[in-house]
Order: sequence, then structure tokens, then C-alpha cells
Amino acid sequence: MAKAQNASQKKFGKGRASMIEIRMHGRGGQGAVIAAKILASAIFKEGKFAQSFPSFGVERRGAPVLAFTRVDDSPIRLRTAIYEPDHIIVLDPTLIRQTKVFSGLKRGGTVLVNTSTPASQFDFPEEYFGAVVDAADIAVNHGLGTKSIPIVNTAILGAFAKFTGLVGIEAVVEAIEEGVPVKREENAAAAMDAYESLNVTAEEMAHTAVSGD
Amino acid sequence: MGDYRYTTVEEMPPLAFSLESTRNIPTGSWRHVRPVYVEKSSPCQIACPAGENIPAYFELVRQKKYREAWYKILEDNPLPGVTGRVCYHPCEGKCNRSPYDEPVAVHVIERFIADKNFREGKFPSVTASPKSAKVAVVGSGPAGLSCAYQLARKGYRTVIYEGEHDPGGMLRYGIPSYRLPKNVLAKEINDIASLGVQIRTDSRIGGNVPWSELEKYDAVFVAVGASQSSGLGIDGEKLTGVYSGVDLLHQLNTGGSPKIGSGVVVIGGGNTAIDAARSAVRLGKEVTVLYRRTRDEMPAVPDEVNEALREGVRFEFLVSPVKIKGRQRKVTEVDLIRMKLGEPDESGRRRPLPIEGSNFEITADTVVAAVGETPDLSFLPYSFLKKGARIFVDADYLTGVPGIFAGGDSATNPNGTVVNAIKAGKEAAASIDEFLGWRTKSNGAEHQLVKPEDINTFYFPHETRIKVPRLSVGPGTRSFAEVNKSITEERAFQEAERCFSCGSCLHCDVCMTFCPDVAISKDDQGEYIIDYDHCKGCGICVNECPREAMDLVEEDTQWA
Amino acid sequence: MGMKGKNGTSAEAAGLLHPSTDKVVVIEGTHSASYAVKLARVQVVAAYPITPQTGVVEKLSDIVSAGDLDAKFIKVESEHSAMACCIGASMTGARAFTATSSQGLALMHELLHWAAGSRLPIVMVNVNRAMAPPWSIYVDHNDSLSQRDTGWLQFYAESNQEVMDTVLQAYKIAEMVSLPVMINLDAFVLSHTSEPVAIPKQQVVNEFLPPRSAPFKLDIHNPRAFGALIGPEAYMEMRYKLDAAMEDARAAIRDVDTEYGKLFGRSYGGLVEEYRTDEAEIVLVTSATAVSIARIAVDELRSLGFPVGLAKVRAFRPFPVDEIRMLGQRIGKIGVLDRNFSFGASGIIYQETKAALYNALVRPKLFGFVAGLGGRDITPETIKEIFSYMMNHDGPELEAVWVGLKTHKVNEAQNTFADSAEGQQK
Repeated sequence: MAKAQNASQKKFGKGRASMIEIRMHGRGGQGAVIAAKILASAIFKEGKFAQSFPSFGVERRGAPVLAFTRVDDSPIRLRTAIYEPDHIIVLDPTLIRQTKVFSGLKRGGTVLVNTSTPASQFDFPEEYFGAVVDAADIAVNHGLGTKSIPIVNTAILGAFAKFTGLVGIEAVVEAIEEGVPVKREENAAAAMDAYESLNVTAEEMAHTAVSGD
Repeated sequence: MGDYRYTTVEEMPPLAFSLESTRNIPTGSWRHVRPVYVEKSSPCQIACPAGENIPAYFELVRQKKYREAWYKILEDNPLPGVTGRVCYHPCEGKCNRSPYDEPVAVHVIERFIADKNFREGKFPSVTASPKSAKVAVVGSGPAGLSCAYQLARKGYRTVIYEGEHDPGGMLRYGIPSYRLPKNVLAKEINDIASLGVQIRTDSRIGGNVPWSELEKYDAVFVAVGASQSSGLGIDGEKLTGVYSGVDLLHQLNTGGSPKIGSGVVVIGGGNTAIDAARSAVRLGKEVTVLYRRTRDEMPAVPDEVNEALREGVRFEFLVSPVKIKGRQRKVTEVDLIRMKLGEPDESGRRRPLPIEGSNFEITADTVVAAVGETPDLSFLPYSFLKKGARIFVDADYLTGVPGIFAGGDSATNPNGTVVNAIKAGKEAAASIDEFLGWRTKSNGAEHQLVKPEDINTFYFPHETRIKVPRLSVGPGTRSFAEVNKSITEERAFQEAERCFSCGSCLHCDVCMTFCPDVAISKDDQGEYIIDYDHCKGCGICVNECPREAMDLVEEDTQWA
Repeated sequence: MGMKGKNGTSAEAAGLLHPSTDKVVVIEGTHSASYAVKLARVQVVAAYPITPQTGVVEKLSDIVSAGDLDAKFIKVESEHSAMACCIGASMTGARAFTATSSQGLALMHELLHWAAGSRLPIVMVNVNRAMAPPWSIYVDHNDSLSQRDTGWLQFYAESNQEVMDTVLQAYKIAEMVSLPVMINLDAFVLSHTSEPVAIPKQQVVNEFLPPRSAPFKLDIHNPRAFGALIGPEAYMEMRYKLDAAMEDARAAIRDVDTEYGKLFGRSYGGLVEEYRTDEAEIVLVTSATAVSIARIAVDELRSLGFPVGLAKVRAFRPFPVDEIRMLGQRIGKIGVLDRNFSFGASGIIYQETKAALYNALVRPKLFGFVAGLGGRDITPETIKEIFSYMMNHDGPELEAVWVGLKTHKVNEAQNTFADSAEGQQK
């Protein structure tokens, strides 16, 4: 009962301002900052304005890091930190325990997590749309990193494109090919794979949440 | 970590001063590699056949804990007074200090420790509980003594059968007293006997004691050594005045005075040849050593060769005897041929080849043949498997006969060195222990070897190697007194200080001092603790460790 | 990449697309500076790394090593040496560049005097970072404003595009007046933020910025002494001439900005850009990225009917005295938002603004505000608090109101617009 009520209160992409803010959680060395920048490039390719920046500060391999992308239809003058993002991307599932990944996330916002754990076993707060993708597996299959340290930053962008529909996969692939320093084709292919592997979109979930149950 | 933070300007201190200890900031999460303390192997320890923990007893010498240092050696070798004097010390050849300045004088320190404990040192008693099984050891040379000692320490009742009148084998009968004084040997044999090892001398298995005597034992270790001199295989060997090196030394070491003439020719390049030559000098003779290769290929310990030269022994290299000539059955001349070196043989040394037509003759009244020794295995009743002239044993020193083990010169030790015999005794004892149903031998964890470039030589000033004080001996010395003298405590300390202690933590605090995160501390026992909540894995401690006793290992990641 | 087709409309609207544009790329502020240096055909780069500047010279070292810029890249052991290299290079007639930040700039201090006194048109990018201690790597402007008396021109940029455009303008201005120029950009807010930047075509830049021609230079065929000892009989005159050059720089800045606008389609108002000051009664003077934020707040307040406006101090040296006085004649209340502080006095731009107005015939009420030190976020809410304060006060009560200061005391600057700002996104 409560769940149905909650679910019906959240709407994906409804009533939001033209500015959209995305926060990416990763660890130093995972490429979250590059991913945020590639995402900005991809979005700019589609004719919108975009800005990306890291969590301002000191970064080190393994330490939790944040990276942000801000999107708007007009030039972006806002240069503040992002406090209430619309979308969250989590590159390392262990961060969910260690950091407040949902902090400030707007009701009806999306959460995309790289994990091998099935979505059904993930305890997403009800007010958000959550999805998982095994970006690590996809990355390793494309020779990106090792099983213990996969490079998941490009694969997850493909999944993000599918899940949120915020940006087309073509623009993502193009931006990856321009934006990664090595293994361009592998990174692009990983994003494509992740895009195709995700069989759910936030839009569909919102539809189900409203009409179903 | 406290959640408390300053919230207002009024609360804040006037400067950036943290309210709580910085220990509350667990920066360890930044780490992707972690430093760990690891015990690594020094090259000396690996090179020592007996496996002595050399860095450990050097550290004990530095701490002036001579008793503990002695005990540390005794774990692997019951005869440090012997090996400190006569070992060819392969440890020093591998010393990481060599490329830096000069190798550490390990054997000098080993002897110092033995000397230091010569009078007052109390030999460690057996701590293992007694076992009912009995083991016989045939032969009281270094292999037999080592095996009996290790077995006794494990609680076995052990009996040594020795055919000679006194125990020690080649240590007693093959090594002259100017190198190894008899009282040193006797003391260390007494120490071994003090553990309850029975040494039955004048008890020759296959002679006055039948082989069947051994059947009442649960296991037997055969270590009869190699006392038969190999012949030269040339005409004239039977002439009066021709001795074998082993026989000559045996006579000297049993108080005899062999009748040798004034012109002595020793044939051979091994330690027996050098011992025979130097002994002959002490009998007042002119001595020439003939060797068919060059000095570089001589199996004798180089120091001994130097001593021989100092004492007036002459050397002729690249010559080989063809025939010993005599008149009235007595030696008069030796016919020789010049040699040259050809391709390397199976020993890796270049094969000597005669040069046609280069024959020449020298006069001599005594010829000592010291070209190798083989074991006398005539006492063995069964058809033991052989390998060449020696008993065949497997990797566990087991012969083809169940319960009968063999080692040392009679089986495993063709080079005939004392320390290899000690190794064989020690390892055979472990095999016997396992055979008798006790502890499975541990193969010992494979420790990483420390290489010269691993040492942080910044911490080690250049120091010259100790010069061992020597008895002033010159050409024609007649003294059988020990040539190399003992060293003082001060000099021992100085030499011990030169040891890098490769791979062993000495608690020098360098890691602790250099840690920029103050993440290393010491516990009540003085052991280091790394606080992984604060260690960022920078590796400075590992880099800075003077002696490679730390490693950086990959941190487990759970990013998948 | 990207300038054709899909993003054409919005990029064009933003002034990114122009016949002079080679391509539009999404890059961070440090790299925007690097590409400008490349376009300026700089011949000597000397630098020492420091966060958050490092990206500038890191990218330049890539560009130089790839052969895309025929320059000597000199690695040095300190910022002091970096500036010394630039001075030496510039004396030979070469176009020289360095970049630094914060403590690095402070270490250069002695040589900043040297560069200006030697009348060398060196261009430097300084990424504004707070001075330590307490250690901070985040933005404020005390590092560069501490260097205000060294004889360097100073610009403050609002966007990555302005970084690019100002570096190109700076070489032209510097070489016109023979003075060094420092271009400042906010740590992280620009330096590490990627956004679309139009990169001009090389040939248009070449037209705008011809090769340097140095009137006096080190020449082994005609050896002269530079910066030698000078007696009291001439030192004052040298100083006078330096200030005269700084005065000349005012016109040079305006002219170059105008010319740049014609060639590249983007200009920045010379020394000061006014934003929505028509019929304004209260104007906020500020600089750097705070301007970008303030534009949002001004738009919002204007939409609610409040008569507020904005003036962006783009050039701090020479200080835009005339521009400030003109503003003061029209506007009754002016506030200055400083992201810096001169201890024992007030915000530095506030001081300078006040000094500029003192001898003016008409003087507005002048308020001083301090915010955003050490990277504290300046948000549209911060700006609204400041306007709110000015609306609720007839005149200043303090030389500096510290906005957002965490204190037990009731904060002087409260946002009276909070309730009236209906429909605002919270």
C-alpha cells in the first residue's frame, strides 16, 4: 500500500526544470571524472549545453571521488557545486555502504549502479528509479582493466544512455572515441554492449509504477 | 571517528588546528598497496649448506649475547668451533656486502662465538621428550656427529660406532692440528656426547663389531666417510717413499712420525694435498705441490693455498706425473709431463691435456699422492646400491635397504667438505625422524632472496673486512700450533656491525621514523605494528628499510 | 568537433559559432589557457607544477612534445626560476609564458617586480587559489591581489571561453604597452570544469596577433645592459613611465577587446562589463566566476521586479577608475563582493572602488561584502542575500560584511527574497 502510494508520487522526468544535474560516484583511478566529461561532450554533440567537473579537491587512487555533469538547453552560468542531482551513477557498489550516494537526489531521480548483484536484490529507496548493470563484466570482456580492477567508466555511460534516455548512444559512442586516450574501439564497444544489456528504462518503470501494481 | 565538527566561528580555534587527533582521519582507505614485514633469506644463509641463520647470530653478537649466538648456530651445526676454522665458507662468496666493499668474515665470527663459549658455555640440553626408538650411527665424522646430535635433540637414543680409537673421523685424522687443534674438536664432541649420545670407539662395524649388532636399532645412519686414497694409477706407486695424503695425515694425527725424506713431492690440488704439504713443511722438508691444472681450478680453499705459499711450499701447475722412478725400491725421481687446458669437463673445470714430448724429470725421495679419496664400503653385508664408489641414497638419504640411511663422504658428498657432511647429517636426522613416524619434515617456507641492489647502503658506511690475527709463520715453520688466532670481542663486534642483516628486521626504527603518517608504532614486545587505518601505502618505509625486511603487497580490492 | 549540425543552434546562440571558430570543444579552463598559448605562438614556456594550475602546462608540454607548438619548454625547480626564465626569454624578444597559482605566485613575487620594471610583455596564467595556512587548494583571490603593486596588468575571467580570449588579447595588450599581464581564473570552478569553448582559427589569430617586435632586446651583436643600477636622478622617471604605460593600457584594453570582438565575435566590455544596470538602483560589483552566478541572481530578481544590476570588474590593473565613477554617478547603492580580504582593512576591490569614488563629484552608498573565501560556494542565494542586505540598509555599517560566516550571532545579511521568490527551484 505504502509502496504503491510512494511509487505513484514519483514521476520520471516530469515537472523538472530544463537544467539536469548528474552525480557520479567512483573511486580515484576508476575514471569517473573522464566519464563525466565524456558525458558532457556527448550531450553537447546533441545540441545541448553541458558542463562537467570533478569533486573539487584532492584525488587519489582508491579514495571515493565524485564527478558531476550539468546539462541545460542554454549556456550554463551556474558554477556552484551540485547539491540536488537528478541522476546518480555509481561506479563501485561498495561505495553505497561507505558514502551517502543518495544524498540530495531528487524524488523521481534515477540511480544506476555497476554491480553483478541482480537488481531484485538491491534495496533501492522507493522514491527513486534504480537499475543495475554489470559494467565490470562487460568492461573485462572488452579487455578494459582486470577482473579485480575493471575500467567501467565507459561501459556505464552506455547503460546510462539507455536507462535515462538523456543522451543518445550514438553521441556517447562518438564522445568516447574522442575522449578516451587508449583502447577507443574497446571502450566504445563496451558502452554499446552495456546499452544493449540493459532491458529496462526509467521511463518504462515510471509508467509501470503509475499504471501497474 | 567523531562526527563532531566546528559549526561556528566562535568555536573555532585561531589557527587551523584540529580539535581531535588526526588519528580520527582514517586515510588508509587511500591505499592500494600495503607494506608488510617479511623475513627474507640472506644469500649467506642460502649458501651455507648447513643452513645457519647467519644474520640472526650476527645480530646476537652485536648485542653481545654470545651464548644465544652460539645456540643459534647450534640449531643447525653442532661443530661451530670446527667449521669456524676449517669451513670453506661459501656464505662469504655470496655475501651482499661483496659488491659494496668486501664480504663479511662470517667464518671468523662463527669461530669467535665458539671460542667465546669454549670454556664457560653451557651446551643446550635436550628439550624434546625422550623417544623409545634407538638409532645407530656408523662413523663419528662430521656427518655422523651432526646426525647423532640432531637425533639426540629430537629425543632419540643414539649410539655412534667408531672404528678408530678416537672419535672425529676426518676431522681428527685428516686435518692437521695447526688448522684444527685437537682440544677444540674434543670439546665439541664432548658437547654432543653430553646430550646422551653414546660414542663407542674402537668399534668397527664389519670388524670387531658384526653388522648384525645394528639390527637391534630402529634406524641406522651410515657415515663412514671416504678414507681410501685413490691411487695415481702409474708405475712406481709401490716404491718405498710413496704415501697417500690420507695415510700421511693419519700418521701425523695419531702422533706418529712418518719416515719421509727431505725432498717431498705432493701430487694433487685439493685440501688433502695442501694439508699434507704444509704438514711436511713442519717436518722440515722441502715440498713441491704438483697440480695438473692451474691455481684457479684448485679445489683447495684459496686461503690454505696462500698459507702454504707463505710457509715455503712450491707449486708447479699444469704438470702431471707419468712414472715414479726408483732405485733399490726407493723413490729417486718423478717423471712429469706438461699439461694444457682444453674444453671444460663435467665438473665445469677445463680438462687438462698432456702436451706431447714435454716430459721432464724431477728428483724426489718422497711422493705424496693426494688425488682424491673414496669410501671403504667392504663392511656392508647387503648388496647396497652404489653410485660410483659411494652408497646410493635418495633425496631423503635413504639407501635401498629400509631403515638404513647414509650420508657424508661415503654417500652424498663427493667434494668431501665438512659443512656438506654436517648438512647431510642434519637432513638425514630429519628423514630418520620422519621414518620413525614423527614429525613430517617441513620443507621450510621458500623465502625470497635478498639481492645486493635491495640493500639501502645509505645506512652502511664503508668498512674494511677484519684481518684475522695469525701466528707469525714463515718458510720452514716447524710448529703445529694453530695458525689463525682468535679475535677480540671488540674486533668481533666491529665485524658483526658490517653485516647488512639482509632480510632480517633488526628493529632499527627506520620504518617508524620515516612513516609520514605516523602509522608505524611498537607494541609492548617491541614489535612493529602498522596502523592500516592510516597507512596510505606510500611505500617510504619499504624503500627506506636498510635491509629489505619489508615488502609492498597488492591490496585486496573489492571493486568487481 | 561538434560545431556543425546538431549543436549548431545553441552553440551559435552562445557566440561559440563564428566564422573565426575552428572548432568547439568541451574542455577545462586550464586547457583553454593552453590552447590559447598555442594559438599565440608562444616561444618559451617555463613552469613549475602546482595544483590547480598543473593542467595548463601539462597540456602545453603535450602540445610542444607533439610538435604542435614550436616552443622551448623549460622545466624549472621553482616558480621563482620559472619567472626568471620568462624574463630572460622575453628580453631576447621571444613570446614567453608561464602559469602558477597561490603559493607559487607568492614565491615569484620578487621577479614580478623585475618583469614589470623591465617592461617585458610576459603573459602568465594564475589559477586563483587561497593562500595557506590553513592549506587550501580552492578558489579565492588573495594570491593575485597580493601582487597588485608589482606593475602587472590583471584580468579575471568568468568562463573558460573568456580565459581563451583573454590570453590572446593579453599578448596583444602586453606587447602594445610593454608590460606583463596576469590572467586569473578561479581554481576548480574554471580550472577543472569542462565546458564548450570555441577555439579560433590560427590564421585569424595570426592576423590579430602578429609576431612580437621588441623595441629593446638582448642581442649578442649589440650588447646592452638591462635593469642596471640607476641613480636617484632617473629612478623616479622610470617609475613614472611605468605608470604611464599602465595608464595607456586602459585604452589598449578597450581597443583590443573591440578589435577582438570584430574578428572573433566575442568581446567583454573592456575593463568593466555592466549587466542589466539600466534603471538599476542597486548594483553589485564583483569579478571572476562570482559574476556568472550573480547574473543568475540578477535575472531572477529582475524578473521579480527588483531594480538590481551587476558590474563585472574584468581588469583589476589598471583599475577601472573611470568606469566605476561613471557607474557611481548613476547608481545610488553599490555593493562590492570580494573573494579576498586585506587584513586590517577590507575587501580589496571594495577599497579600490571606494578610492576611485572618493574624488568623484557624485558618490553612491558603498557596501563591502566578503564571500567565497577558500572555495566556499558562492550560489545565487549568496548573491540574493547581498542584494537583500543593501535593500534593507540605507548605508554601510561595516567596512566588510562577511556573507555566510558561520556564527552564533544573527547574520546581518538575511535573504528577504526567500519568501517572495515564488516558483524558484529550491
